[in-house]
Amino acid sequence: MATENDILLVEKYFDDELTAVEKEQVMQRVAMDVQFKTLFDQEKVLIRAIRHQGLRENLTFLKTLESNIDQQTPASRSFKWYYLAAALAGTLAIVTFLVNRPDDPQQLFQSYFKPYPNVFEPTVRGTEATTPRAEAFQAYEQGDYAKAAEQLEALYVQHPEPEVLMLLGNTNLMLGHITEAENNFITLNHEYDGLDVPAQWYLSLCYLKRGEVQHARTLLKKIEGTENSYASKAKELLEKLN
Amino acid sequence: MLQNEIIEKIRSGGQAELGVIYEEHRKEFLQWISKEYHCSSDDGKDIYQLTILIFYDNIRQGKLEHLVSSVKTYLFGIGKNIALENMRKEKRYTPINQETWLNEYVADESGQGTDDSFFEFAKKALVKLGQPCQQLIELFYYEKKSIAEIASSMHYKNGETAKNQKCKCMARLRKLFEIEMTKPQNVVNHGY
Repeated sequence: MATENDILLVEKYFDDELTAVEKEQVMQRVAMDVQFKTLFDQEKVLIRAIRHQGLRENLTFLKTLESNIDQQTPASRSFKWYYLAAALAGTLAIVTFLVNRPDDPQQLFQSYFKPYPNVFEPTVRGTEATTPRAEAFQAYEQGDYAKAAEQLEALYVQHPEPEVLMLLGNTNLMLGHITEAENNFITLNHEYDGLDVPAQWYLSLCYLKRGEVQHARTLLKKIEGTENSYASKAKELLEKLN
Repeated sequence: MLQNEIIEKIRSGGQAELGVIYEEHRKEFLQWISKEYHCSSDDGKDIYQLTILIFYDNIRQGKLEHLVSSVKTYLFGIGKNIALENMRKEKRYTPINQETWLNEYVADESGQGTDDSFFEFAKKALVKLGQPCQQLIELFYYEKKSIAEIASSMHYKNGETAKNQKCKCMARLRKLFEIEMTKPQNVVNHGY
């Protein structure tokens, strides 16, 4: 059983809060003390997972950006169209980065939208998806949103479950299908229990994406008043919108 | 903008800066990589996305503080390494698998001593951790934000509160990891 002091020591090691001598002492203990090595390796693997998650989120962000660029037709890539789109405050994420306004709803959407993690049936590396449900969830996890949309939609028809609807809504948001996403989250909020607050959070992001700031505010205020983990994010976003 | 100003902007910014860099060099990179390595447009995009991730990560990790060449040259260098490494592993040109690449990228830096199955348990534990803990520890360990920056962006009273919260989140994560490891279907003969 690891002692509190050992945990603290390992944490300090990875947080770079030890001197060179102290670090050397930690490495000596890792080499000699099996229990301490276990604790050390555990911390290392946890930080590895955290970094993996961060990289994956940024990769998803770049993929979304790429699909938005891809959605432009060749004709629309002309200089004139590009800036016309910007002037119209279009829905393309690319515009978000050109329009450098900190409280721009599009930019806020981009900063705050992170796809809901597949906590329902996480894919285990090395195992193949054998059921339509596992395949759909795997496509979602791998960021293959076009495939995920098709499979989740079919799955929802057969098995109308809240978790399927949650991932489907997120998939539609990723693909820029805002109306479909909005409908998914409204259904999730009204007809099911358990995922109400996350559904409201994503619904508020749909409104933000559309530029319907007042609708987004109303929902965010509702979330802010809850004790859910989304409350702090809602508060932060509200402050930026005000 | 000067090359080193770009680095500073990325270091202090976030995804918006990542997007700006992505778009700025995208067209030229994609033309170059498809010509140089005869890869499809989609494969080129996959490599470019990983290239941008490494560039961003190197700045965040403090591995890249000053550029001696242009951003473009640096990016093309990373892209070339990714393409060559992929060809070396596969012995011939094969489309890159981003998911495998990400796993290997974080595995390489943690070196010996960690096991793939433990990594999977850690990922599951992280998902179960929920918000705001996930965001907080990601800002600290991935984005490499200081405790003061985290306190400000997550609206904690001060640095001390943010630091305490970070320690609590890590303690919770360790507990969730242990739960994952001790689940009957996950219990194997391992060192932990």
